Amino acid sequence: MNHRHAFLAILVFMVTAMTDAAFGETLYVSAKSAQLRSGKTSLDPVVASLKIGETLEVVKRDDRWVQVKTAKGVTGWIYSGNVSESKPAGGDNELAALGKGFRRTEASGVTASAGARGLDKASESYANRVGITQQHRDAVDRMTANKIPDEDIQTFLKAGRLGEYAE
Amino acid sequence: MLNRSSRGLFVVGLVLLATAGLTGCAEIQKAAEGAARSSGNERLAKTIHGGGTLIGGLLPIGYEEEQTIGQAIALQVVARYGGVYDQPDLTRYVNLVGRSVALTCDRADIEYRFAILNHDSINAFAAPAGYIFVTRGLLKTIKNEAELAAVLGHEIGHVTQKHILDVIQRSKQIAGVAEAGLAYANKNPDAFKNVIDGAVKKLLDEGLDQGKELESDRVGVIFASRVGYDPTAYETFLDRLRTLKGDDRAFFKTHPDFSNRLSTVRSTISEQKLKTTGILLADRFTRSSNGAL
Ligand SMILES: [Zn+2]
Repeated sequence: MNHRHAFLAILVFMVTAMTDAAFGETLYVSAKSAQLRSGKTSLDPVVASLKIGETLEVVKRDDRWVQVKTAKGVTGWIYSGNVSESKPAGGDNELAALGKGFRRTEASGVTASAGARGLDKASESYANRVGITQQHRDAVDRMTANKIPDEDIQTFLKAGRLGEYAE
Repeated sequence: MLNRSSRGLFVVGLVLLATAGLTGCAEIQKAAEGAARSSGNERLAKTIHGGGTLIGGLLPIGYEEEQTIGQAIALQVVARYGGVYDQPDLTRYVNLVGRSVALTCDRADIEYRFAILNHDSINAFAAPAGYIFVTRGLLKTIKNEAELAAVLGHEIGHVTQKHILDVIQRSKQIAGVAEAGLAYANKNPDAFKNVIDGAVKKLLDEGLDQGKELESDRVGVIFASRVGYDPTAYETFLDRLRTLKGDDRAFFKTHPDFSNRLSTVRSTISEQKLKTTGILLADRFTRSSNGAL
């Protein structure tokens, strides 16, 4: 078990490199979207809207809130549930963005169908092969297209005193 | 912060890990994953775990392909479970709860969409790329929003942990299919159909492995708790399902062994120090589902 030792040594090295590095300064927005506020309560005004993956520099921590500075130089408070110490979602971030961008275009092979945006070409052809009804195709199509604005989710969280709106 | 040089070291480490993996030491990879996890570095554990898929000789399935796979599986779920229940307000409510949980889950960068299946059985399914389904029967057994959040958290967990993609990845390996991009799916509809049919069979008929179910229970209750829902609601819910066991066979085929699941949830709550917030939101659940179930 020679290379087991070597391997564990590498691992310890990596963990050390990461934890040493993780101390103090940088956090990432880990929520899909998040608000930066002028104070450490959800009642304080929003000074910036942040997106997942954005880098933040820690100024100060206070219980459930962290004071940070954004890359654009805006300072404010963010709810600790919205940040993480490691960059979220890894390498699929760019792919995901790419996927979204191409999804509704000819390039991704989306077919047009009545009233809806259309299933992917491959799943449409699968639906033909296995005989999925139009009604069921439309249901999945609507599900795919279904969007809820971020503000509506924030309103919902607020009404339930959830997330950063907790007391 | 992870500065340039430590990031470089990290990459070097990964390459070395990959080399170790190439020598065929799945056991070592497991040990490394465990070591990273017990040192509290969940993300590193995942990286090592994900690296294993790469080392397995195939590129991991990318997000664009995942969307096509998810959509095809979703078509079968809808077809086999009586179609989607046409209740826009209730569907919106389920989406608001689900998306609130997904907002801060471990894979918050993709879209999650939720639909209700018009079926009396008690069940829930998650297809890749965030296509999540709950049956009308399941909603009927739920008493408050915290229970719903945990159930949706469990399904979101199947997506964040890429459980179905893992099943597909393995089946591709068995079939000796070396490449599977969107182009592949379009050029080889027969092979694509086989891949989807296999995944649907696993999801709807056989059920995922116990290990994957327990992992989803673990991350699901963490996700729901992160938003502020009381994690003990999930215990209450699982306990209620256990007493219903006689009535509904299908669910227990796809989601077996309740005592094991309950103890996993209990130990997750205590080990992760999840806060018993008392937030159940029974009124909002009742109001939103009133008359629609
Ligand atoms: Zn499950």
